[in-house]
Formats: sequence, C-alpha cells, structure tokens
Amino acid sequence: MTRRFAIGFPLVVAVLACLSLYRVTLGFPLFYLALLTLMLFWVTQATSWNILSGYSGYFSFGQAAYVGIGAYSTAVLFGRHGVNFYVTILVAAGLSAVLALAVGAIAFRLRSLRGEIFALLTLAVPFILAALARINSSIDGGQGIIVSVPPFPAGLGLFQDFLYLLNLLVAAVAVLVAYLMRKSRFGWALAGVRDAEDVAEGLGVPTFRYKMLALLASAVIGGVGGSLFALQIGFVAVDSIFHLTVPLFVIVMSVLGGRTHWLGPVVGVVLVVLLQDRLTASGLGEWQLIVLGAVLVLLVLLAPEGVYARLRARPLVALVTAAVVAAAVWLPGEPLDAILVGLLAATAVALLPLRAAPPAPVVAEPAEQAAPAPVAPPAEPVGVGEVLVECRNVARYFGGVRALEDVSLTVREGEIVGLVGPNGSGKTTLVGLLSGSLRPTRGSIHVAGNDLAKLPPHRVAHAGVARTYQIPRPFTSMTVRDNVAMAIMFGRSPRSLATARRDAAGPLDVVGLGHLADAYPDKLNLHQRQLLEIARALAADPKVLLLDEALAGLNPAEIDNAVEVIRRVHRSGVSIVIVEHLLRVVNQLATRIVVLDRGTRLADGDPREVLTDPAVVRAYLGKRAHA
Amino acid sequence: MRKNTIVAAAAALLLLAAAACESKSPSEDAGAASAASGDPIVVGSTLSLSGAFAATGAIHKIAGELFVERLNASGGLLGRPVRWVVRDDESDQAKVSTLYEQLISQDKVDLIIGPYATPNILSAMAVAARHRYTMPQHTAVIAPLLTYECQFPAWSIGPTPNEFVPTQLFEATASLPSPPKRIAILTNQNGSTDFVSYGSGDNKTGAVSITKQNGLDLVLEVRYPPTTTDWAPIAARVRDAKPDLVINNGLGVDPVNLLQAMAQLNYKPPMMFSLFPAPGPPLGLGAASEGLLSVSIFEPNKPTLDKLGGDATTIVNDFKARAAAAKLPYTVFETQAASSWNAWEILVAGVKAAGGTDQAKMCDALHASGADTTFSGHLAFDPAQNNFWPTTQTIKQIQNGDWVTVWPADRAAATLRGPA
Amino acid sequence: MTTIQAALSGILLGGLYALMAAGVSVTWGVLRIINLAHFGMILLGAYLTFELATAWRVNPLVTLVVSVPAMFVLGGALQWAFDYLRVSELNSLLITFGLLIVVVQSVSNVWSADFQRMAAEVNPYATESVRVGRFVFPVPTLLAFAIALLVILGAHLVLRRTFIGRALRAYAEDRPIAAAFGIDHRRIGVLLAAVTGATAAVAGMLFSLANALTPATAFEWFGTVFAVVILGGIGHLVGTLAAGVLVGLLSSVVSVVLSPATAPFVLFSAIVLALILRPQGLFTVGATR
Repeated sequence: MTRRFAIGFPLVVAVLACLSLYRVTLGFPLFYLALLTLMLFWVTQATSWNILSGYSGYFSFGQAAYVGIGAYSTAVLFGRHGVNFYVTILVAAGLSAVLALAVGAIAFRLRSLRGEIFALLTLAVPFILAALARINSSIDGGQGIIVSVPPFPAGLGLFQDFLYLLNLLVAAVAVLVAYLMRKSRFGWALAGVRDAEDVAEGLGVPTFRYKMLALLASAVIGGVGGSLFALQIGFVAVDSIFHLTVPLFVIVMSVLGGRTHWLGPVVGVVLVVLLQDRLTASGLGEWQLIVLGAVLVLLVLLAPEGVYARLRARPLVALVTAAVVAAAVWLPGEPLDAILVGLLAATAVALLPLRAAPPAPVVAEPAEQAAPAPVAPPAEPVGVGEVLVECRNVARYFGGVRALEDVSLTVREGEIVGLVGPNGSGKTTLVGLLSGSLRPTRGSIHVAGNDLAKLPPHRVAHAGVARTYQIPRPFTSMTVRDNVAMAIMFGRSPRSLATARRDAAGPLDVVGLGHLADAYPDKLNLHQRQLLEIARALAADPKVLLLDEALAGLNPAEIDNAVEVIRRVHRSGVSIVIVEHLLRVVNQLATRIVVLDRGTRLADGDPREVLTDPAVVRAYLGKRAHA
Repeated sequence: MRKNTIVAAAAALLLLAAAACESKSPSEDAGAASAASGDPIVVGSTLSLSGAFAATGAIHKIAGELFVERLNASGGLLGRPVRWVVRDDESDQAKVSTLYEQLISQDKVDLIIGPYATPNILSAMAVAARHRYTMPQHTAVIAPLLTYECQFPAWSIGPTPNEFVPTQLFEATASLPSPPKRIAILTNQNGSTDFVSYGSGDNKTGAVSITKQNGLDLVLEVRYPPTTTDWAPIAARVRDAKPDLVINNGLGVDPVNLLQAMAQLNYKPPMMFSLFPAPGPPLGLGAASEGLLSVSIFEPNKPTLDKLGGDATTIVNDFKARAAAAKLPYTVFETQAASSWNAWEILVAGVKAAGGTDQAKMCDALHASGADTTFSGHLAFDPAQNNFWPTTQTIKQIQNGDWVTVWPADRAAATLRGPA
Repeated sequence: MTTIQAALSGILLGGLYALMAAGVSVTWGVLRIINLAHFGMILLGAYLTFELATAWRVNPLVTLVVSVPAMFVLGGALQWAFDYLRVSELNSLLITFGLLIVVVQSVSNVWSADFQRMAAEVNPYATESVRVGRFVFPVPTLLAFAIALLVILGAHLVLRRTFIGRALRAYAEDRPIAAAFGIDHRRIGVLLAAVTGATAAVAGMLFSLANALTPATAFEWFGTVFAVVILGGIGHLVGTLAAGVLVGLLSSVVSVVLSPATAPFVLFSAIVLALILRPQGLFTVGATR
C-alpha cells in the first residue's frame, strides 16, 4: 500500500462519512445523500464486476445474479420472515459465495473454456435464478415483498443517512479489496491471466486458484451490495432485480472508467450516474436516453482504455480544467451541474490528442552486441549427470489424430537436446506434454522425480520446467522487467514484487535486454521478444528449459546472438531441449539429437551420427524437399 | 489521424451535453399560470416514460397535463397556479426512490403524486412515508401491501381484490341463461395478477379457490411468467380443456396474444375475461376478441357520460385530442386515465380541506372528509383498510368492437352478452 | 395431441428466433462485432412495417420493399463505421449497446411507448392458420419459418459455394492470410453486415405480423436470441437454424408438459449444459468457427 493511498483513502471515506454524520451542521442537502447512495450502490457493483472481469478479462454478464440473490435474501428473510437484517446480509454473502463456487468449479475446470463461453454462461445464470423464483412462488409469496426499515442506531439520523453509511461502508470495502488485489500478487496473477492465461500458468501462476478467489470476492461484494439494494427500493419482486440493466450498466460503467485500474469503475460510475441524473433533471425528457447513448458511444470510441487512464495521463491539466469550469458554473448554478460539467470538461481535455508524442524508450543497442558474436565451437559434451526428464512410451491423440505414438525420451543434467523433425512430426506436442499444458493419452512423464500426470501446469513449472513459445506471447500490459518479474514472483519459492523486480535484472542481462527493461513488449522487435521469452523462462529458475523454435524468423546476425545467449544459459547449469528447424544451429548447439517423424521417434543419439543416418535424411530432407 | 477528426466533434458534443443539462427547458412544466397568480404550488412525481411500463406511463402523463391545465384555467389551487414537475423513472425502481428523494428534499416540491405501476408505487411510497408526505396514487390495488397511512388509492377494488374480482365476475356470468360451469384460469406471475388468482400471504383466497367454492369445474390452471413469448402451448391446452369461461388474470397484451394463438388453432373460447389488459390492442383483433370481458372503473359510454354531465364529456374529448397528438394508438379516456384523474382530484381535495399544503393536515383531512371525484363520485377512505374505499369497479365487455360497461346492472351501459 | 400441436407451433416459432439470431451470430463469428444494435434494427424493421402497412393500407409483406433496403444500408453503414474506427470485439458490445439505447428511445419518440399493433384489416395473417389433418399451422409463424429456412439455407449455400462465401470464411478464420490473397475484407464485411441488416428487416416484419410492438420489446429478445446463438455455435448458420427450432420446440413442449414458468429454467439450464459439454455449439462438427 502506497503512502498516498494509506492517507488518501481513509480521508476520502471519512469525508464522505462526515457528509452524513454532520449533514445538518454542514447544511448538506438530503437529496445529495440519496444520489450518493445510488452511486455507492453502483460503485459496489461495478467494482465487484471489475475484480473478476476487469482484472482477469473473463467478462461476466451475470452481475444481476448477485444483486438478485442479495436482494432476495434480505427481502425474504428480513422482509417476510422477520430475521435480523444484519444476519440476512451474511446470508446474502454466503449464498452468493456458494453460487460463485458452483459456477467457477464448472466453468474454470473446462479445458475448452474461452472468454466468450464464460460470458454466455454467466448470461444464463440470472435467467435460471429468476425462473427458479417464479417456479417456486412460495419463496416470495408471488406478489413481491415489501422491505421495511430495519432498526438502526438513532444517532445516525434519518433512514437515508443509515442507508448511505451502510452503502459507503460496503463500497469502501469493495474499493479497498480491489486496490489491495490490484497491488498484490493477486492483481499481477490476474493481469497475467488476462494477457496470456496458459503462459502465466506455465510460469508457475496457480491461475485456477486466483480466478476462483477473484470470482468469490466479486460474488460476496455483489451479494452484500444487493442486500442493501433491497432496502433502497423498498419492494422486491423478480422483475425488479433480475433484468439486464444491472449487468449492462455495470459493464458500461467499468469499461468507460477503465477496467484495468481499481479506480476506473468509480470514475465510470460517477460519470454515468451524474450524467443520467442531470439529464433527468434537465427536462430533456425524451432526449435524455438518446444523449446518454451517444455519449457512451463517443467515449468508448475515443478512450477505449477508459476515461480514467486518460485523466491519469494528464492529472494536472484535468484537475485544473475541472476546477475552473466547475467553479465557473457553480457560482450561478446548481452544484451538481457544476461537478458534471467540470468532469466532462476534464474528460474532453484529457481526450484531446497529446501535442508532443511521448518520448520513445531508449532502444540503443548495447555496445557488446555491435560486435559479431564469435562463432564458438560446438558445445563441449558436458559430463552426463542425473536423469532429469523421463518420458516412457508417451502417446497423445487429438480426437482421431495421433500426434505422438509411443515416444520415449530421457534428458539428463547438462544436456542440450535438439528435437528435430518435419512439420507435423509432433515436436510442439511433445513440448506441450513436457511443460504440463497437455496431458499424455498414454505413458508417463517424470521430471526430477515428479510424475507430471499428477501435477497441474503451474506445479510442473515449480518442478523445474520452463518453456518459450514459437510465437512470443509476452504479457502485453506489463513492462519487460515485470514480464520477467512475474516468473520470479510466482516461481518455486514465491518472492515479493519488489524483490522480483530487482532480481529480474539477472535474466535480462543474460539475454541482453537490460537496456529495454522499462519498455512495453509492443515496442520490441521479433528478436527482442524471443529473447524476452527466454529471459522470462529463465527467471522461473528451471532445471530444464524448453525452447520451441526460439530462432524462427531471425536474420543471421540475430541467430548468432541467440545462439550465444542459449550457450550462456546452458553454462549457468540449465539443461535445454531445443526444437529447431535450422540444422546448422542444432548441430552447433546440441549435445544430442532426437528426431521425430509422424509422431514416432526415428532416431536418438550423437548429432553427427544422427544427422547422417539415412532414415533421418530420407524422412527429414525428403519431406522438406516436398514442402 | 482519423481520431483527430472525431475528437473535436466529440469534445464539442460533450460540452453541448453538459450545457443542455444546465438549461432547464420549460416543456416539462405543464400548465403555466394563466388564471391563477402568485407563487406556484409545485407537484412532483415520476412516471415511466421509457422502459417496460412506458406504454401506460404515457396515458398518465397526458391525463395529468390536462388536469393541471384545466385547474390553472379555473383559478388554480387556493388561488395559486399549479406546476407539475414530472421526471422519467425509466421503469426502474432504484430511480424512482432516488427521484422522489430528490423531488422532496432537493426540489422541495409542495405536493407529490404517485408514479405508475405497482412496484414503482411501492418504492415511491417508502420515500413518501419517510418524509411523511401525503401521496395519492393511481393504480396500485394490492391493498395488503399499501401500508402507509397517508397513501390514497385512486383506483380501489376494495380491501380484498382477490375476493371481489372473481366474485363479481361469477355474479355477472350467473345472470346469463346458461352460466359457465367449466373454468380455466391463466395467471401472469406478476404480483398484481397473481394476487387475484391466488391471494397473498396467509389469505389464499382468489379466483382459483372461489371457483372451487362456487362448485364450478376448474378444468385448467396455468401460471405463466411475464416474459412469456410462446403462447401456442397455453392456447392448445385451453382448447383441449374445453372451458366455458377462461379467466386470464393477465396484463398488457396477454389476452391479445392468447386470443390470437387460440384463433390460429381455429378456436375461440365461449367466454373470456382478462384482468388488466391494455385496452386498445384487443380491439384490433376484430372478431377474435368480440365478447372479451375485463374490469373497469370508467368507460366513456354515452349513457355514463350523460349521467355525469358536461364536464366529463369535455375532459374525455380533450384527452382524446391530446392523446391523438401524442400518437397514442388508443385515445379513449378510460380506466387508466380516470384513475389518474381521481388521483389528482384526491390531491386537490386534500389541499383544499387542509387549507394549505401541510402534509399531515392533508392526510387527516382526507381521512376525515374523503374526496369528491368526477368519475368515481365521493371517495371515503377507510384507514382500517389501508385507505381503500368501497369499490365502484365494474365489468366491461367488447361489444361490436368497443368496450362497454355491462355489470353491475345499475351502472351498465349495455347488457352482458353470453357466448355467441 | 396437445403436446404434438404445441411442438409443431414451437418449431415454427423457432424459425423466427433463428432468423433474429442469424444476424447476431454471423456478425459475431465472422466480423467479430457483438452487434446489440441488431436488435434495434429488428425493432426498426417491425415499426417500419407497422407504419407503412397502416399508412398505405397495404399487405405487410409489401413493406419489405422499403424496410429491407433501408436496413441493408443501415447495417452496411454501421459496419463501415466500425471498420473505419477499428472497433474491437469488446468495444463493439458497448458501442452497439449505446446505439440500441438511442434507437429504442427514438422509436419511442416517434411511435410513442404504447402498444402498436396492425389492425386486423391490414394484417389478415395474425389469426389465420393452415389446417393439415388434426393439426393447425399458424400463418405468421409458418411464414416466419419458411422465410427463415429460405434465408438461412440460401445464405449457407452462398457461403459454401460462391467465391464471396469462401472469401468470407477465409476472412473469418485468418484475416492476415485472407488479406494476403487479395481479399478486400472491408467491402466484404460491409456487404455481409448489410445483408444481416436486411435479415433484421425481414425478422422485424415477421415479428410485427403476430405481436403488439413496444420499444422495450427489443430488450426482451436478448435472452432467447443469445440462447439460439450459443446453442447454434457462433457464426454457424445451419446450427443457428437448428438451435432456433430446438429452442422453440423445447420451450413449447416444456410449457405444455410441465408449465410455462418452467420453460425458461429448462431452456437456460440446457444452455449451461450445452456450453459445458459442447462449447463449440451443438450442431457443429469438429473445429470451432
């Protein structure tokens, strides 16, 4: 927690609380409190949505399920059966949590789960709950339920004060949770899931656990918020809560504000609620929804990453504009108009294109790379060590396609094994199996004594396997340094972010990317991205490094550099399995070569012997000649 | 580059939107003072002008505007002009409660009147109760739920609509030469309609129990969700059950959809009753809807209007003209508009009796002396029954393509017709 | 008897669902636009039919002469704008939601929020039906089913057999490679979106034949239409048709055998199951998309 937050957040909450506690003294109109209460409800819901969907990228259309469960728990138990109101809040939280666990346990266990499937799954949930409430009409008696005012401490003032303070408390907790998650390992893990989920898992991030926790936190916050919503509307029926307005507005608010930041939804809520309120009050009548729709379209087009991100890029300009414009309007007019106009003006200013392009990160080539890397002799055969990887009679089918059949392979400490074979021979499948992201149809794989069949991919990473991808897949929302730090943070022995960032310098130096540590991946060229892949894999402190065509698409100078990097990695004591098309490179690097052809192992042995084996030449070159 | 081109336009539009928010357009303030003078008395309310309830919300807007205009033309209220501030709640309960809070504590309106549709009315009632405002409301009829003592219903089906409606219907049909014996009951699972079929809370009396109690055959009982889109299965079941009378405790266009689906099966039930239909659409069905029964508190049939006198006729005609101008498809001043009118008259009666806009005095005065209305006569509010007054509700029927009041006999404009 | 009759009606109604869903499914699958504004176009199509049929006193089917070209242009223009502004899949959802709000409110301003319904003398189809043996087939849904069958199978054949169709499928599967083969994705995308706009006009006309219109109807289609899109497999036309029929059949039969209140529960539970067991859609074979 930064100091600014540690001071600022309680201060803001305290000021907001004072608006109610000292409302009479301050002369603060009750209506503003009602409007703030509505905003706080949406802040809770939007933040709840954002914790899962914004952070992890799994879009949910099911926010109405939590609001519905919360509102129904309170309405049925408190409104109908007279159970203590505060107990019903706990029930709401509990039931929402149960629903989340059920949805998560089903959805996140699906191997084929894609984002859109999750979205549609969540879309169906509120419909099912609404139908359940209708089928079993003894739940609400069929007519809907009046929710009266629960007893509350007299010192708080009116019911509106009580409602406001309750909502403030819940919204504050929601935002605090969102902040803590964003700033902790949690947030980094979820950002990893959003950017490239299986990569994150492969680096040691227990993605299932983090997704479940995010879903759970989201559900509990949403359910508690829904429980308070029942008090606010005073009458709860199926139609009043299980409709599409809630999920759609929650998404609109979060995305408009900025869904990758903890404060984004808050900004979105303030903007949308205030805009709606002022439009309603302005007597635009039949034009109000048209204006709202148009503003939504424009803002999404102009600031797809969210208004808050734009405001934050120019905090001073935005703040000054907001203050000046607001003050100008405030003097003659209504304060709410002033605030809205100020906000809109600040947004408009923030949206104006930057005059000067941001300085490009320094991409100076380090001096050492200018000199061509000396062509080193083939790697010296390192003394054969312990067996690290052992595949026994491994087979893998995809539906009817037999990608691998009966392949056995051992990798010992200190080896560089070259894995070669024509296209479609099963090399990438084997890499997938070794890294745990695929499971063998038959056979067993052991890494450093661990049976991979029993381990989820992130545990395979902890067992000492790291891989790179043929097409580099960096975490696009993180800097080069943080990409590497991710692997350290979630490695075999977990580290804090600060430590991880410091330690990231090591792997970056090994691959020679130290000078780009603060750049974002989209500024890197292909070679640099591939080096980043290696650095990131290396940072996981692997015993075995799987390089899947790490040199594809490079020019000769870059290849020489990459070869040198790989040697450096090898010398640091990491065994390597390298999948490569370029026989020159494999010949240069490998201490042993394994040839795959149509899913079976064709040869295994000393590079010179294997590459002169007539069967290999026929399979490999023959196929290549045709390709 | 393409961004630059739209950025300027966007910034301009944003500021425009902001500017629009500031300038309060006068269009919403119905009825500027003409005959009356002095500070206006401000009445605040919301109506669902968009969203699910908007179809009927529009009727209440036109009726209210007409009422306020006539009131101001005839000297206003206590000699002061009346201004009505009506906001769109978008059929959203959360908006209703926030907007009523705003009207009362921010705009400091002198008086309030209820919104449209039962859930919204209940949300508004909670706010009114907290501020002790007197709130006449148009259309919420589930008496047991309306517990605030200063809420005054403008449409009453008595304290127990779940008993009254089926009982009245069976009384009416009993007057036919061959009363229906086989009854099918189709219920929309909306609160107000479900209540009339099945009762509420511990009181399970309703159309279903009364049918059995009267010794009639309940040949079919279907509950359908308000979201129903496929009517053919229900229609097929009705056809096969061969009822003499279909009681559809439904809303909006439910009876139209049902009758149409039955017509497509080449079937028309001998008699059908529908509880709260939108009045216009069934008439568009032609022969398929002839004979449909429903409830009403007012139909502008000639005999009824003749009895009420010239004022009522003028109101009905003025309303028709305005509704036509607003492009409403059905421009007849009937139950919804009449209940709207009643609500306004209750409000006016309260102010006049209290000699001002003191909310508690208004509430007491209404309890004590009731209100006189153009279309429902004198209303005596019964505090023991949540202010529901002895009902004047009648049964209407589509005869020759128009709605006419047919029961009870003393208020009927025509006689009830049995199956053709 | 009752069950079979209800099943038949349900299957026919499924045709309308399929036609509504086809446009959403194709723009999502091929153009990567989750087009909520499609519901707005269906609504506009329905109101255009209502307005023109009522004003001109013509057969509702004739109004397609105006509404189809209008929606064709609107659909194409929207896609052109999305393409010009490089709208992403996620943002398309938000933008089209904004557009839908604008359309719904505009419709409300023009035609009022009250129920609008074609009078019986303009629209003879509403209560008509065709009798075959002991079963009857309502004309509005029969028409909807026939047209849906025609449009969807026709579009399917176009996609399978013609150059444009192959180009579209190539574009859906791999944009860069399709571009490399000289496929102008812009023109094709605009054309496709324009055609889906035209189907929206047809779906709107068919809806208005048997239903009273209110602006809020547009939101009520969400659940069923997305159910059909998912079950059919995003981007699969024939799957969408089959899913529409399945959804219509399922909800009809459940309504008769159990109760109408149970129908949405069964339907959406079926969707959850389908998503879990066959995430690529019920009727697709092998690869996704």
